[in-house]
Amino acid sequence: MRKGTRMLAGILAGALCLLAGAVWAGDIRGVTDTEIKLACLVDLSGPGKYGGPPVAEAFKDCVAWVNDTGGVHGRKINLVVEDNGILPNTTMQAAKKVLLKDEVFAIAFNLGSAGSSAILPLCEENQAVLMPHGANRQFFRPGNKWVFVPHTVQYSMACRAVEYILEKSPKAKIGIIYQDDGFGREGLEGARAAAAFLKSGLKAEAPYKTGTIDFTPHMNAMKEAGVDHILLWTYLPQSAAVIKEKAKMGWDVTLISNNTTGVPPLFALVGEQADGYLLVTPYAPAHTDAPGIRRVKELNKKYGDPEKTLNNPMYPDYLYLAGWGYIESMVEGLKRAGKALTPDALVKGLESIRNYDMGGMCPNITFGPDRHVSSFSSLVLKADGKSKRFEIVDGFKEPKTPQ
Amino acid sequence: MAEHFKISYRQDMALFQNLWVRIWLGILILLLLMAPWFLSRYPLSILNEMGIAVIGALGLNLLTGYTGQISLGHGAFVAIGGYSSALLTAKGGIPFLISLPLSGLMAAGLGLIVGVPSLRLKGLYLALGTLAFGFIVEYVLFHWGLTQGDMGMAVKKAQVLGFTFKTEKAYFYLIVSLASLAALGAKNLARTKIGRSFVAIRDRDIAAEAMGIPLARYKIMAFGISSFYAGVAGCLLAHYQKWIVPGAFDLSLSIAYIAMIILGGLGTILGSILGAILITGIPHGILFLTDVLKAGYPALSGLVVDFKLGIFGLIIVLTLLLEPRGLYGIYSRIKIYWKTWPYRY
Repeated sequence: MRKGTRMLAGILAGALCLLAGAVWAGDIRGVTDTEIKLACLVDLSGPGKYGGPPVAEAFKDCVAWVNDTGGVHGRKINLVVEDNGILPNTTMQAAKKVLLKDEVFAIAFNLGSAGSSAILPLCEENQAVLMPHGANRQFFRPGNKWVFVPHTVQYSMACRAVEYILEKSPKAKIGIIYQDDGFGREGLEGARAAAAFLKSGLKAEAPYKTGTIDFTPHMNAMKEAGVDHILLWTYLPQSAAVIKEKAKMGWDVTLISNNTTGVPPLFALVGEQADGYLLVTPYAPAHTDAPGIRRVKELNKKYGDPEKTLNNPMYPDYLYLAGWGYIESMVEGLKRAGKALTPDALVKGLESIRNYDMGGMCPNITFGPDRHVSSFSSLVLKADGKSKRFEIVDGFKEPKTPQ
Repeated sequence: MAEHFKISYRQDMALFQNLWVRIWLGILILLLLMAPWFLSRYPLSILNEMGIAVIGALGLNLLTGYTGQISLGHGAFVAIGGYSSALLTAKGGIPFLISLPLSGLMAAGLGLIVGVPSLRLKGLYLALGTLAFGFIVEYVLFHWGLTQGDMGMAVKKAQVLGFTFKTEKAYFYLIVSLASLAALGAKNLARTKIGRSFVAIRDRDIAAEAMGIPLARYKIMAFGISSFYAGVAGCLLAHYQKWIVPGAFDLSLSIAYIAMIILGGLGTILGSILGAILITGIPHGILFLTDVLKAGYPALSGLVVDFKLGIFGLIIVLTLLLEPRGLYGIYSRIKIYWKTWPYRY
């Protein structure tokens, strides 16, 4: 019996430990008189690990600046950066942790469309604003009270790419190679819509499975269809593989891709073969002299580590700038929400943002009660293989195709 | 010591072997009933995840641990259960109370079909066959218009007799009740003729057949029962998370379930429960560790994030090295230690 008593005591002690872990909710989750807790869910491990740190660095720099200049209505921002591992399951774990344990007020960034979809009900239930990145149109169409997209989505970029091609060469024969997932299919839908809007069409469509790096059959299919422009709704490794395949075939075909491939590592992968590669993106290259870029660079110098970030020629600058777009939108929304901060006040604050000046770094930000996406505009960039940089060849424009 | 010997078949077959087991179970039930009143939403959400995993792991252990049929497609059956219930409730307007068993039956039906090749395939070949099934299911979920591709679909909240499950606390009671029922069902099944036939097939199928056990019937039945459990787990997962995406049911989920039953203890009900708790708990434990380290040792915290998968693997390897019988083996050793204390034998 003594043995049993000892074990019983052990279990009771365990139960007491659990009791100690209990958390009691405050009035507004994540908000005190002196602090607002915000979460940034990025990929610090897993297949998209490369994308997470630049976003987190932008968030840290911006938050340091905001806190240094008095915070938002006297409240400092307490930033919680969490690894979401990009997959739906891992994103769910991260979101639960920040919402239920850390008790953040809002999720100002979440990388990955499927993961963002998976955590949407959790955010709704907890009345937490969610800002998804890599966002698909479904996040603002039909729209959700708690979801804001401070980013031009892939659909709009694909429309812009097709319109740019047809504007330059009205008789262009366009083909598309796209990843067979939500990201790629949204590019395909945008391309189809823009081509149809301009009374044209896509000559060939070639999907590929995630992880494919041999594009010989896809490129052969494009050549057989007689295309002279290929849209690539692909990620960096796949774009690099297509560029190499193009060089191997000795084929003078124009390639035009999306923002995810507009990073310096492309030059490391394909060198001068990248020359002439076009891409559509909502972010200006960090080497340009736009006022918004200058401002961000100054703040990065003051609060961050420029040698490792923006001054590093191999740094994926567009992700850093994307991070700034997100956190600045959130901070502006918090400012407009006023001192009496509630989730509903933040929604109203964000919805009241009109043409917030990003200084040419990315399109200005506009939200509204019926518009939870900040912009439809994007730039067209061209790769310069010699200088290993991307140059702007066409400024910010909204597609004419209905969005 | 006489109390430790079983001197009748009735004692040997008893569901709960002695008074102490009943007392401990009573305490466990009491603790589970009280837990939502003391725990915050975050630990409750982890317990809910664990409860759902327990149901799935029990199913796989009946197939792999008891019958010796390996399956790398368990995650696919979980997905079938989840999507069946999501579609039945959303498109068919069927109440959750009916869609719950129906989603289990849907998974069981497909499990019976997948079980047919098991009559001709064994070991690695069967593993490959079930793996292929998992890929087919994943492909269909990604490409079928009804399931809305990789962005997934919304799932209604669970509702029983007009009561809507909205909170972690409400789901906790639902999940724990069903997990307990599942464990009780599995424990009961294991001591019936069916359970003994499963074990006979696992130990030596030719000998089992020679003893008059119809291999075809029992192997297919094992697949069906296992898939039923997986389907119910999937249904609960879908209604608990209120969103379902195909990416959540890839090969890694099937491997996680295999890890649960191997680490917990093959061919034991308690092992399935312990394994499910451990495997579901490790990622949360790592999150906790990185949080603790973040303040004092940010570099070390970053390192933990970097080697997250490695740490996960290391825990599994170490557990298997130190106790090949899994957590159930550790539990058995502790039990014997207490039983014989202060003597070593």
